[in-house]
Amino acid sequence: MTGEPAFRKSKKLVSKNAFFLWLNSLRKNYKLIGPVKVKSQTVFRELNSSKELFMEYESTMLSPGKLFIYKPKEDLLRFSINDDISIDEIPLISEKQVIIGVHPCDTNAILYLDRTFLGAFKDPYYEVRRKNTIIISLNCTQVSLNCFCSSVGAGPFLKAEAGYDMLLTDFEDKYLIEIKSRRAEELFDIKGKRVGASELKLKSEKEKSVLNNFKKTINVEGLDNLFVKNIEHPVWQHTAEERCLSCSNCVMVCPTCFCYDIVDETSMDLKTVRRFRHLDACQDIRFAEVYGGNFRQRRAARLRQFVLHKLNQTSQYGVLGTVGCGRCITWCPTAIDLTEMAKEIQRS
Amino acid sequence: MNQLKPLKARIKDIKLEAEDIKTYTLSTEGSFAAIPGQFNMVGYPGVGEAPISFSSIVRDKCFEHTIKTVGRVTGLLNGLKKGDKLLIRGPYGRGWPVNNAKGRDILLIAGGVGLAPIRPVVQMILDKRELFGDVSLIYGARNEKNALFMNEFDKWGKGISLHLTVDEVAQASAWKHNVGLVTDLLDMLRIKPDNTVAFVCGPEIMMRFICRGLLMMGIAQSSVYVSLERRMKCGIAHCGHCQHFGLFVCKDGPVFSYKEVRGLPDGLL
Repeated sequence: MTGEPAFRKSKKLVSKNAFFLWLNSLRKNYKLIGPVKVKSQTVFRELNSSKELFMEYESTMLSPGKLFIYKPKEDLLRFSINDDISIDEIPLISEKQVIIGVHPCDTNAILYLDRTFLGAFKDPYYEVRRKNTIIISLNCTQVSLNCFCSSVGAGPFLKAEAGYDMLLTDFEDKYLIEIKSRRAEELFDIKGKRVGASELKLKSEKEKSVLNNFKKTINVEGLDNLFVKNIEHPVWQHTAEERCLSCSNCVMVCPTCFCYDIVDETSMDLKTVRRFRHLDACQDIRFAEVYGGNFRQRRAARLRQFVLHKLNQTSQYGVLGTVGCGRCITWCPTAIDLTEMAKEIQRS
Repeated sequence: MNQLKPLKARIKDIKLEAEDIKTYTLSTEGSFAAIPGQFNMVGYPGVGEAPISFSSIVRDKCFEHTIKTVGRVTGLLNGLKKGDKLLIRGPYGRGWPVNNAKGRDILLIAGGVGLAPIRPVVQMILDKRELFGDVSLIYGARNEKNALFMNEFDKWGKGISLHLTVDEVAQASAWKHNVGLVTDLLDMLRIKPDNTVAFVCGPEIMMRFICRGLLMMGIAQSSVYVSLERRMKCGIAHCGHCQHFGLFVCKDGPVFSYKEVRGLPDGLL
């Protein structure tokens, strides 16, 4: 959505120092957001200076897309009830922001959220923030234990051509910077060195060397049909019974999970109501409950819903629901691994 | 446009249909259009919203919702009076393919409050009766006190054939129709399977057996349509609650051909 059609995509080599100084210069007009080391974790948060950036991070618990574009909690409307009902829209905030260092998985996750919130019906809260966010993606130099993006076409190097603004590849003391949108072209006024065939060759060698480091893989070919044929496979029941706590960690850390609940909060004098939404999870027992029944009463059914939404359901948007970031595995208290569940079905 | 922002609708009339079931006649400022089988998110500040099918076609800018009191939202609506306002968003979803059924025989099958989304189809057919072939309505309710729209049956019976049944007769009253399951009535019908379209709405377990019965009668899966109920918060394929194996019931449905939803996990069809 940010990659306007006709403009010349360019590539240049820029020293990291120059790049970070340029970032600082953006602070006049933009909120800077990026990965920061906090004790043993890396988190995406607002920066005072590009010096705080920790660009060598492996993974974060929460993805930048679901923190700064699709908000975990969002005020929707205010109502006041007197003789009549009045409905007040919350003015849409439009603060301009730059998110730096977004890994390919998380960039693809934002493109996935676009399918939900900028599809047939547009979500204005998401739309305004998406438009006002410049995304500077960063190709990966290392692979975490649970990363499987290379198996699902979402990394470790970003292949998407549009929908974000700039793409960085680490070249020791420099970045190879690829400009992917017109606004990035206008904004990025550093000349840098022209990129030739040798640099592009080096980039693809770097990619190959990262690709060699993946421990976790999944073969997604034919998975859709396999799931449908084995819909009552014992893996769902025994994993749910033996290990799943229905804690919803998997959903909360998933960068593509988009479900929300809408909540009304009434003031003490019963005269005003605040309507907000917050993230919801299909692992919650009431998620699919209706009057007279619950379509996913069983824990096994809820676990299956999550896994199939990631690995099957290409019919929903024509793409897989996973970007292979591995967060659901990392943050599961009992280390349930969706790639292992798929393999158990593939083996049988 | 903010789809989550509701519109105010005025309650022009309230009719008690059965125990805990009322029909609300609503109007909004400005024009409003909807097709049978679609729904509104109906609600009130403080309690939230629930998806409710249209129980009438839109006439003179007015439309109806027939609502059974079962939960928090419907419980609040139950306390509203004529002249009060409530909030709606919609219309949403894919309705019954009534236009594709023109020239064909139509079998309407409903159970309980499932007759509400079928009623606008009946109204549409009665308005332009000559455009459709033979039309039959099979309706089952728990008992005669729970049956909807009974006072309209005489009028409906002039244009379409009615087959009514109840699970039980509450009192040995003047119930002139059948007693037993809706599925039993299927056996009594003589239909032309190749030329028949069926619209089915009721509890999912009832639709399961009706759909199988219809297939046994020789109707194609793609000519049987069902209306599904799922939990919904948004109505616009965002909140994810109604997801049914990749489908969003709110946007891709609530009306589906049986072929699309048969055998999907976490459903009863």
